[in-house]
Parts: sequence; structure tokens; C-alpha cells
Amino acid sequence: MAKEEGLQVTRRTTRYSASNNAVEPTKPTEFYKPTLNDLGFRQQPLGFEDLLSCFPGRSTQVLELLRLLGPLNSPMFPVLVYGGPSTGKTSVTLQVFRHLNRPFVYSSCVTCYNPRILFESILNQLWFHRKNSGHSYSSVKRCERPSDFVNYLREASESVIDNLKGNSGKLSSKLSGQPNGTMVYLVFDNLERVRDWDKSSTILPFLFNLCDILKMPEVGLIFISSTSPDTYYLNIGYLEPIPLYFPDYTEDDLRQIFMANQVNRKLYTSFLDVVLRPFCRVTRRIDELSAAFSSLFKKYSEPLSDMEVAPNEDMKRRLFTHLRPHITTALNETFQVRSQPLLKAETNQETKKKNSSRMSGIREDFDKMDFHMSTSAKYLLISAFLASRNPATLDASLFDSTGVSDSRKRKRKASEKSMEQKKMAEQELLMKGPGTFPLERLLAIFQCITSLAEDSLDEEGSDELTIEGGSGGLMSDVLLQLSSLCNANFIIKGGSCPLEGSTRYRTAVSEDLALKVARSLKFPLSKYLYRR
Amino acid sequence: MGREKEKQNPSEKALNLLRTRLSNPNFIFKPLSDSPDSNYSKLKFIISSSVTEACNNSILLLGPRGSGKVAVLELVLGDLLQQYPEVISVIRLNGLLHSDDNCALKEIAQQLCVEHQLLFSKVASFDDNSQFMIAMLRECGLAHKTIIFVLNEFDYFAQGKQRLLYSLLDAMQSVTSQAVVIGVSCRLDVDQLLEKRVRSRFSHRKLLFLPPSKEDTERFMEHILSLPVDSSLPHNYTVEFNARLKKILSDERFKELINTYLSFNSTIGHLVRFLFQAVSYLDLDVGFLSLENFKTALSSMQRQPKLECIREYKSIHDSFQTSDYYARNVCLRAFEHLLQHQLISFADNRGHNQSVEFRPVKLLISLAELHQGLKSYRLCPMFYLDLIKIGFWILPLVQACKLHKIPAFDSFLVCYVNYYCCGASFLPLKMVKVAFSRQLS
Repeated sequence: MAKEEGLQVTRRTTRYSASNNAVEPTKPTEFYKPTLNDLGFRQQPLGFEDLLSCFPGRSTQVLELLRLLGPLNSPMFPVLVYGGPSTGKTSVTLQVFRHLNRPFVYSSCVTCYNPRILFESILNQLWFHRKNSGHSYSSVKRCERPSDFVNYLREASESVIDNLKGNSGKLSSKLSGQPNGTMVYLVFDNLERVRDWDKSSTILPFLFNLCDILKMPEVGLIFISSTSPDTYYLNIGYLEPIPLYFPDYTEDDLRQIFMANQVNRKLYTSFLDVVLRPFCRVTRRIDELSAAFSSLFKKYSEPLSDMEVAPNEDMKRRLFTHLRPHITTALNETFQVRSQPLLKAETNQETKKKNSSRMSGIREDFDKMDFHMSTSAKYLLISAFLASRNPATLDASLFDSTGVSDSRKRKRKASEKSMEQKKMAEQELLMKGPGTFPLERLLAIFQCITSLAEDSLDEEGSDELTIEGGSGGLMSDVLLQLSSLCNANFIIKGGSCPLEGSTRYRTAVSEDLALKVARSLKFPLSKYLYRR
Repeated sequence: MGREKEKQNPSEKALNLLRTRLSNPNFIFKPLSDSPDSNYSKLKFIISSSVTEACNNSILLLGPRGSGKVAVLELVLGDLLQQYPEVISVIRLNGLLHSDDNCALKEIAQQLCVEHQLLFSKVASFDDNSQFMIAMLRECGLAHKTIIFVLNEFDYFAQGKQRLLYSLLDAMQSVTSQAVVIGVSCRLDVDQLLEKRVRSRFSHRKLLFLPPSKEDTERFMEHILSLPVDSSLPHNYTVEFNARLKKILSDERFKELINTYLSFNSTIGHLVRFLFQAVSYLDLDVGFLSLENFKTALSSMQRQPKLECIREYKSIHDSFQTSDYYARNVCLRAFEHLLQHQLISFADNRGHNQSVEFRPVKLLISLAELHQGLKSYRLCPMFYLDLIKIGFWILPLVQACKLHKIPAFDSFLVCYVNYYCCGASFLPLKMVKVAFSRQLS
């Protein structure tokens, strides 16, 4: 979505081909040298009506931005454009600049992830320098500190503005597509990322005070952020930029946006009537909705043989009933990136006949694990989960040598109050999340489990578990597996116990995943879990 | 291009003129500095006396942001440079950029070189630079030239070891030098931040920049928004514009408007920003400022961003409808949306040791704000509002997001409310299960 300087096609020799001796080195092609025209939006200028129609529901914001930017060559106060994610802030700003055809420099704090890259990117654009292999991808000037940046920025802006002033007198400039005016605008996108930088306590006040420090009325500043201005309150204070709010889209706006490029409008309208309301309750973000809608629409128009038809009431009803069971699943899957394509779920559906089994068919896929783990790793994971979940005092009763999992020792009948207290304690434990455990405990549980598993498997006579040979060989394997589980973030290294000084571990898997793993091993996990 | 300029609408020219004026701090603060007891005159007197009497001096300019400290200083320096052209050289430092001592000395040396047409070497070390500075001070002192050091954001220089300040002030005392150190800061207590040895070398002169009085403000607004009669604008247009402006300024509603605005932000800087916005709403067809422009500007300034987010928040946690069961990842995503909007934040700073579900969070908005936000959301069911009226946190609703498949939501909520009243500000996410289980038992 970010357009830095319009579209160019650059032919350059890649490093590989340059260093590869087998290919004869081609003559270094002419690198593209950006010029003043690149500071403007290089595409066809946009009329005012087109600008408004591009962005349904955003006409107030467009007008306000135009007003704040003001007529040609009039200085402006810094502006902060803010609003939720995917509400069109960046695209509106860029298209406004396209409409006005004024020179601007765009940099995003997502791609420029530290101050040096940010400063150098802006300076490169102002000095018409493109990084290419000719000078091994270096910037025009090395700039790390804000003080250097201010000096270079002043120089660069002055030269650009002189250029613009010099050319503005000539008539030919209009024809050559040069941007208008003698002001340069700096656009900083995704400003909220700066808050997470290391040096944010100096960089943020610097950026907001840049207007005062630079003291050049010909440079205009525009900040785009997806968090509101009060998240930027700083200790030293600054004169806040003028805020411009982009509210989330209403349902009508969403409808207009989705209808915008559809071929068969009537069909899509009926589709939207069905799905828009329930989905809007979950999210209003366009990116999430469009992902969900595209797959749903395919489903919706499945039974139709002719895509051009305009549905009447009867057809609409039929299509709706066809679609309805999928809506709920799609709702729940709105934010999930499907690892298995939807087609597989469909094949499952065809084999089953009833509606209910259709649902369970989809669920069955999720019961299987999506990735492969070795058996010992799976056992290790289960033991880690148990170690985190159960308090250490229960281990003796759960894992005693006879392999009896349910404790059948008779307990004294506890009083109501102590039962109450016990319940409270259990619930507190659950709420705090997974507990930490030392390595020794993990290995002890692991040994218990695998010895059980070996016993049970021996009974069945299968010889799959040849890995778990002697217990001596088991140890080194287990430690390796443990480190790979840590790397995969299934187990986290927690804090160290103050008394013993050894590191403790903590599980980071959810109960669902642990159940899946246990099911794949046919291990009765629920018997071992400490439940209320 | 030339032809188009003549055809330019007078209202557009007027707009341009006003915008330029409002962005130019020199123009803004000149009228306020005319009276004899203003900060302008005091500052001018201090600096010029130290120039003429060949002595050292130091002074602090203090005041909230936007009160015109740097602007007045620049006016004074401009005047003095015209008065004594060869005698004064100005070195400007900014705390945001040059708080590091190395960087600051390098910048001083560079600016001194530029002033006196010397060649500056980029590889000079810290010691070289400091020796150079002291040598320059001595030379200029002998030649009866004054160096004025302007230190913006003075509080940044007062962080850390204050080496630069100490060496500067020490040099001023020990070497035959003529220097004036002017510190500019928004913190009114910045001299308390100075170390003892620095403070003893500092003359405790302070100039306070306070917001102007009401009458001054009114005069200022009229001055700044009236178009000059002798400019290139058509005469009757200017006259009409100024007449209408006068009418607006004397209007009671306008005065009320301005008072509301000034009660939050009383500095000139803020006022100018407000005027800029109002001016930018100038309707080019009509060509004159109207009261509506000011009203729109005020409303856009007063927006409360968090309240707007709360509507979104409400739409997110509408996922408790009893007829819908929402899966876990939907709720997790809704939770992330709330995080993004900064309505909640993690209460621990340890970060990534634990998965998201188990980290304590706290609500970043107050109950009153929540109430107001939910009220303004049209589709909010009355049930939630009643709940708030009882005065309990709605935070549990957020955390109930984590629970999937909530049947019988209403009874759950009531029992949660019984369980955790007037709550803690920390509530780990899974606590809701407790209430829920109690409900079932």
C-alpha cells in the first residue's frame, strides 16, 4: 500500500549475477536517478470528485485534510491523523497528495524500524538518491543522531525548495508533470511503532518538536498513527499537532465499500444482507471482513449455475439456507489462518449426510495435530503440561509405582468449609496460570509416564517404541528434545528459584493442544489432570 | 503562473496571509512585547547591558510550552544583532538534540567555526573541542566580543553529570571572557535540578513567561486576525472582513467559546493553534470568517479520543449475546483490538514469559469515561448501562471474552458481580471462570 515515489522499473544487476563467474558480468545498466518529479505522486492526478468517490464514508475527513493543508504555498501546523487500523488513513492521505499534486516524502515507521533508517530514508528521498548496487546500497549520508538529521534535513529541504522555486516560474514545468508549489511535506506513517523503540523517549519528543526545531515554514509535517494522541503524552510536553480523527466505518459504509467492485451487484447485495450484520458484531475491520467474505461468497454462490443471475426471493431463501451452517463456523474462524484449505472440510461434508455430522466433520480435522512431533517429544510435552498444571504435592499420589492413576485411598469426609477452601485454592491455582517446575520434576514425571506407556504397549505387543531403549540412552535424547521444545515456545524458561538457584520451566501450551497430543498417543491425560 | 496569481481569489490570498502569520512566531509575539515592562524589554536590557559593560551573565527563561520564550528571545537577538553587528555571535543548542556532552561540544565548536570562518574538523575529540571552546572564549573576551549561548530545552542539559554546563559556566568565571548563557525551559523548577557546583556559578536570574491577561488576549486576537489595509488585497474586501471580524470578537458566544478553550490551554501557542484551525475552516466562497468556523475548531479540539474507542469496545464485547457462542480466537482477537486501542494494558512489564491469557491487565479508562462512552453508543442495550449504574467494573466482561461458550450470560454476570465487587485493578483473565463455576455449583 505504501507508495514511495511512484512506480519505476529498474533493471539492475543483482549481487548474485555480478559475483557469479560463470555468467559474464553484464555492463552495469543505467541506474534510475530520481528527480524532482519523484517527490510528487507519479500517477495521473486525481480529480476532486474521484477523490471523494474513492473513499465512501470518508468525505468529512478528506475535506478536513484538504482544509488543513490549505491552499498552495501556505504554511501549516503539524497534523496528526489517527484512527483505528485499516480505516483508510494512509490511503486517504496519499490520494489527497495525488489530487493536490504537491511534493511529499513518505516514510513508514514499520519499514524504518530504528531512527537511523528513518532519518536516512527521508534524506535519501530528499536528495534524490536511490540505493542500488552501484554504491553497495548505501545511503547518501550516514545519519544516526537527531542533531545530524536536523542539519542535513535543513540543507536538503532548502535545496529542494530552491529547485521548486526555480522551476515554478517556467510554464513548461506544468507540462512535465512536476509537482506544484514550493513546500515539501513529510509524512510519517505508523507512528505508534516509535513508542516501542529503544530510544523512544528522545525520538518521540524530537519528532513532535521537529516543526519548532527546524524553523522552516516551507516544510509541513503529517503524522499518521493508529493510536489516539493521548497515548503520546510525554513528560516534557510539546505543542500537540492538530488532530484529525478517522472513525471506524459504519455498516452502511461497509456495505458501500464491499459493493464497490462487484460484478453481480444484486447477488452480492443479497449476500451482504445475510452476512454483514453478524460479522459486524465481531469486527468492523475491512481486512478481516474481506478475508472472511471472499471465501463465504464462493460458498454462497455454489449452487448457482449462472453467476449473472439476479436472485429473486425464492432463490435468496435457498441460498441462505445453504449458507447458514457455514456462517457460524466462519465467524469463529474469522481470525484464524486456516492451515488446511476449506476444500478438505467440504470433502468431509460430502461423505456425511446430516447437518450435525457436517459440523463434527469439520471439527475432526482440528482434533488432529497439524504438525509432526516425535513420540518422545510428545511424551515430554505431556509431562511438562502435567508438571505445570498439577501442584507438586500431588505427584506422589498420581504417579505411584503401581501405575494406579486414581487414588482410591479413603479420605476422611471433609467438612463443608474445608471443601470450600480447597475449591478456592484450586481455583486460585488455575487462575494464576501454568506453574513453574524444575527440571528434575519434569524428568521424574516423564519417566513415570513412559514406563507406563511401555508397559501398556508391551501388553499390546507393538514394537513402535524402540526409541525408548535403555533409560541411560533416554536421558540425553530427552534433554535434546527439551531444548527443541523450548525453542518452539512450548516450554518457557521461567525465573529461577531463589533457594536452589536452578532454572525453572513453565508450559506454554493450551489444554486443547495437550489433549490433542495425548489423543495421538492414546494417553489418558484427563485422568492425571488436577481438576476442580 | 503569473496570470493565475492575479486571478487568485482575494479570500484565498487572505487565507494565505492569515495562515502565514499564524505560523510565524515572530509576528505573533511582537505586539505583546511592546510594553516597557514586558519580558522582551527586560531581556533586552539584560543582554545589552552585559554586552556594553563587558561582563558575563546567565539567565533562565521559564514558562509553559507555547508562551513565546524562544520567539521573544529571537526578537531580542535580532534587534541586538542589528544594533551591534560585529560584537555578538550566537551559539544555539537544543537539549533534545545535543544532550550528550560530546555532541554538544562538537556542535558548539562547529558553530563557532562557522561564525568566525574557521575550518572545522570532524575528527576532533572531546578534549580538543573543549579546549577550542575555552580558547575561543578567551580570545573573544580579549577582543571585547560577546558570545551568547542559547540552550533550548535546558532541562535536558541538566540530566546526567552536567559536564557541559559546568565547563561552560566555569570557563566564564575563570577565563577573561564575555559570554551570556540563556537557558530556556518549560520546567519551572529547572534550577533545582542543577548540581551544587553548577548552581553556585549560575546567577539566579529568571524570567517567567506567563499567559497574557484577558484584555491582552482580546487585543492580540484582533490584531492578528485583521487584514492590513494597505496590502495587495482589494480595499473594500479588507474593510468588510475587518468589520465582520470585530463583530464576531465582540459577540458573547464567541467570548464564551474562547473562555472555554482558554480554560484548558491558556498559552498563546495553544491559542494560535486554535485560531489556525478556525482560519483553515474559512469558507472560500463566502470569504469571511464566521462564528461557525470557531465553533467547529473548538469541537474538533475537544474530542476525547478514548470515548470514541469505547464505542468500538462496546461493539467488540457485544459478543456476549446469549444466542451466539463465540470461539476462543474471536475473543482473543477482540482482546487484542482492545489492547491496540489502549483501553487496557498489561500490568506487568515482564513481557513475554507467559502466554497472553495469563497476564494481568488493567483497565486504562475510568468508570465515568466508560459510562459516558457506552451511553453515547446508540445500540448499547440498557442492561449494560444499568450494570454500570450499580458501579461495578465492566472489565469482567472483557475477560469473559476468554471463556468460550457462555450460556446463560445474564445469570453469570449477576453472580460475577456478587463475587468481585468494586474490584481490583488487576484481574487475570481466567478469574472469570471462578465466578462462572460458582454459578454452576
